[in-house]
Amino acid sequence: MNISYDWLNEYLDLNVPSRELAQYFNQIGLMVESLREIDGDTVYEIETYANRPDTLGHLGVARELAALLGLPLKSPSWPLVELDQSTSDLVDIQVLDSQLCPRYCGLVVKGVQVGPSPDWLKRRIEAVGLRPINNVVDISNYVCFSLGQPLHTFDFCQLKEARIIVRRARKGETLRTLDGQLVELTSDMLVIADEGKPVALAGIIGGEESGINEKTTDVFIESANFDPVSIRLTAKKLGLTTDASYRFERGVDINAAPLGAKMAASLLSQFGGKASRGLLDVYPNPRRTRSVPLRLKRVSELLGIEIPKEFVVRTLTALGLKLNEQKPGVWVTEIPSFRVDLEREADLIEEIARFFGYDRIPTEVTPARSFELPASERQDCLWLLKEILFHYGFDEVINFSFGDREKEKIWQTGLEPIKLQNPISSRASILRTSLLPGLVENTVWNYNREANGVHIFETGKIYFWEEDGKQREEWHLALLTSGQREAKTWNQPARETDYFFLKGAIEDLFSYLGYETPSFEPEDHSFFQTGQAVRISIKKEPVGYLGLLKPEIRLAYGLDKLAYGGELNLEVLFDRQPRAFSFTPVPRFPGVVRDLSFLVDSRINFQDIYSQLKKLNVPYLERFEIYDRFEGDSLSAGQVSYSVRFFFRHESRTLQAEEVDRAMLDIISQLKSGLKIQLR
Amino acid sequence: MSSLQEKIEQYRQLFNDLAAKTKNSRDLEELKQAFLGRKKGYLTLLFDELKQLPPEEKRGAGEALNKFKTEIQQALSEIEERCQRPEVENPLTDLTLPGKKIYWGAPHPLTLFQRKIEKIFVSMGFSVEEGPEIETDYYNFEALNFPPYHPARDSWDTLYINDKLLLRTHTSPVQIRVMEKKKPPIRIIIPGKVYRRETSDPTHLPMFHQVEGLVVDRGITFAHLKGTLDYFIKALFGEKIKIRFRPSFFPFTEPSAEVDIECIACHGQDTQCRVCGGTGWKEILGAGLVDPQVFKNVNIDPEKYSGWAFGLGIDRTAMLAYEIPEMRYFYENDLRFLRQFNRK
Ligand SMILES: [Zn+2]
Repeated sequence: MNISYDWLNEYLDLNVPSRELAQYFNQIGLMVESLREIDGDTVYEIETYANRPDTLGHLGVARELAALLGLPLKSPSWPLVELDQSTSDLVDIQVLDSQLCPRYCGLVVKGVQVGPSPDWLKRRIEAVGLRPINNVVDISNYVCFSLGQPLHTFDFCQLKEARIIVRRARKGETLRTLDGQLVELTSDMLVIADEGKPVALAGIIGGEESGINEKTTDVFIESANFDPVSIRLTAKKLGLTTDASYRFERGVDINAAPLGAKMAASLLSQFGGKASRGLLDVYPNPRRTRSVPLRLKRVSELLGIEIPKEFVVRTLTALGLKLNEQKPGVWVTEIPSFRVDLEREADLIEEIARFFGYDRIPTEVTPARSFELPASERQDCLWLLKEILFHYGFDEVINFSFGDREKEKIWQTGLEPIKLQNPISSRASILRTSLLPGLVENTVWNYNREANGVHIFETGKIYFWEEDGKQREEWHLALLTSGQREAKTWNQPARETDYFFLKGAIEDLFSYLGYETPSFEPEDHSFFQTGQAVRISIKKEPVGYLGLLKPEIRLAYGLDKLAYGGELNLEVLFDRQPRAFSFTPVPRFPGVVRDLSFLVDSRINFQDIYSQLKKLNVPYLERFEIYDRFEGDSLSAGQVSYSVRFFFRHESRTLQAEEVDRAMLDIISQLKSGLKIQLR
Repeated sequence: MSSLQEKIEQYRQLFNDLAAKTKNSRDLEELKQAFLGRKKGYLTLLFDELKQLPPEEKRGAGEALNKFKTEIQQALSEIEERCQRPEVENPLTDLTLPGKKIYWGAPHPLTLFQRKIEKIFVSMGFSVEEGPEIETDYYNFEALNFPPYHPARDSWDTLYINDKLLLRTHTSPVQIRVMEKKKPPIRIIIPGKVYRRETSDPTHLPMFHQVEGLVVDRGITFAHLKGTLDYFIKALFGEKIKIRFRPSFFPFTEPSAEVDIECIACHGQDTQCRVCGGTGWKEILGAGLVDPQVFKNVNIDPEKYSGWAFGLGIDRTAMLAYEIPEMRYFYENDLRFLRQFNRK
């Protein structure tokens, strides 16, 4: 909202230079966003709030400054030149829906000479950022930006049967508006009609036909009040926002309507206009004045400082409230009709704080009766997980939660995506059902910008419809590794990433986070090349998958290099308690190490060999390490050689070689029956 | 040659092989045990064998065996000496060559900044809460005292999923969810993603991150709000930062405030400053006392309890702190940008 210094001076005699006024605006929350000097006037662009329609006119802003600066508010008089005829003889006003139009004031002004506005008026109109049109239109805008009361002026001769009917539109009715659009009306829209048809969209915009033009001589002034919700719904439906609708949907002072009409008629008298006698004021259900209780004690309880009683009384009175003291420091206040926002004690306390000055309220530490436990385990887990991946050299990315419906199709996530009703673009039409597509885009972006390798991860949510039609949000982790992992240096060759780098990182995630070792079972997946993917599970519960991204996907994103990716559903981890940690005593007796090399059928994968070894039931066996694996060369086809190192220990004495020998025999026999191994 | 002498020859071979591989005192001990062990040492066994020999062979073999023993003892003491000497690598020619590096991944700047904020509040006894991103109109608006069809909703331009569901436009719905299930005292912060249907520009994107703070207890005042935010902002931007509280409007707080900090780029010295537009101030958060209607909506008696809340845009504040000119950098995920935040 643009506020002119000169215009304010119509309502008060400002004793503050225009430059300095900005700080006073700011103090009471009318934040000055910019300030311009125009022809000796100063125009402030101030931030206004949805609950303060009274500040959408100069009078309301002047009232605020008057209260702050302790200045009296002037009320200019608006003398009329009147016709002999009374308004009701000239025009018939019927309000058929007083719910949507609680008050309607009208006046007829005859003999107006339509033409350009005088300079003073042009300056006012330009100050608020409008273009002067003609004196009649400019006057109605002047009134609107003075009082915050939107007016509409009709060419009186165009109103059929000199009749104004405020009613809902009928099905099939249309209206060509002042800006030339043909609007199709529906029965939930309130219109101003004459005897025949709608002539204006109530509170939003007038019709072209009944508008003011150079030939107009007689003007009908409408100064009315409309229901905010109805105006908002109609304006939204038509995608139309006007200065009028902007004010009506915020709530215009119900008592401003008569003054608005008189003010316009008075100004039109400067152009030969003579007003009909007696304002027609259709106001069937006058509003009761709202009263709100206020306790001085509560003011200091909430603000944290004693505010003097005189200050409270002075400020609220200057803002137009009437205070009736019931007991010392307890009032019932009467709220002026222009303050639609003041409904409760808290609202009044805000007024007191605003004018007292937020900077004069002390700063104190918030006391605590109890402290909350710090972060939840979930957040700890999430951060630890990131730390592990940083250690592995993965950089963290954050992508938008949106997805491209078309592009996501090739991933075949198998999840029903959640579509947005009003997306920003078709490329962001759904919520993502996987994090990996984002990582692939990041990879391409970086390869196109000098990167030799990309190793990234993201934690975030995916979204989908569950089968029962409920929305679901799931925390996921996705990782991607591609290209060079270590650059060549003077003492080391360059190293490329591979599948096992990614798998190692994932394995370590589980172990460092305190979860049991997951199993990795080969299983094809729509993201990955056939035969190049594994499913990750904990105790049979699937957690995610990893593998080599399939060429079709890489092609769709223009990714030339191989990329390994993985995605985990973190909810599965969050739902499980990590193993509680307790320390194991450091061994006091030496252990014994034995190696075993054996051949096994190459169709048995490592996962199975590992779980067989895990299952070994042998005394003194502490742990094992698989330290070598090879195939080919001297081995016959279909055979793989493994070398495993076994660690034995007794916790309270030194083991005898014979005991270990027996244990090894035991191991060999168990592996022979479980895996059909052949010793080497 | 007798068979014992042949054996000695074999064991000498074995000893030499093993001795060559002996690099530390543990290996040495093993080697000693293997040859000189009292019961099963090879040498001990050979001497046992020597005793069984006929006298004519005994002499020659005995001499050979004794010689072997001396050899072993001498070799062992040499090895022992060698093991005690620290090993010397081949000397390097240029010790100023760069060392070996291990690359650590970089946290995303928003994660980093969010963590900074969380740490400050956790140190003041706050806990961290989270909530759904897909919300209902009730939690996102109505319970927060946005009447239906009120223009106040215009500042929270919304992405809708259907008539019932939307993407939360702020983290404030989590306030409601927490107050519904927990009775005061409440002392929480809520970080998370929020969504607005806004056209992208340097400081607006359809998704960004917010952190919300909420305190509810008996006797909470506006002075407490000021004091806590003052501490928080100073912890984030340094003790000398100038802070300004000014009145504002939010449906869910009353009184409401916006908090500005002095422009870090120009300190109010540059009327053409691109960061602050020459005003010298930069708005960083909105705050206020919890509106009594919000309390009523969650069955907390506003006569008994009061509280304060604030909401801060993590992205925009991080932009100020790191002097990042455009918000899109956060979501382009260019490694040349991200890696600058490694270990910051
Ligand atoms: Zn600046």
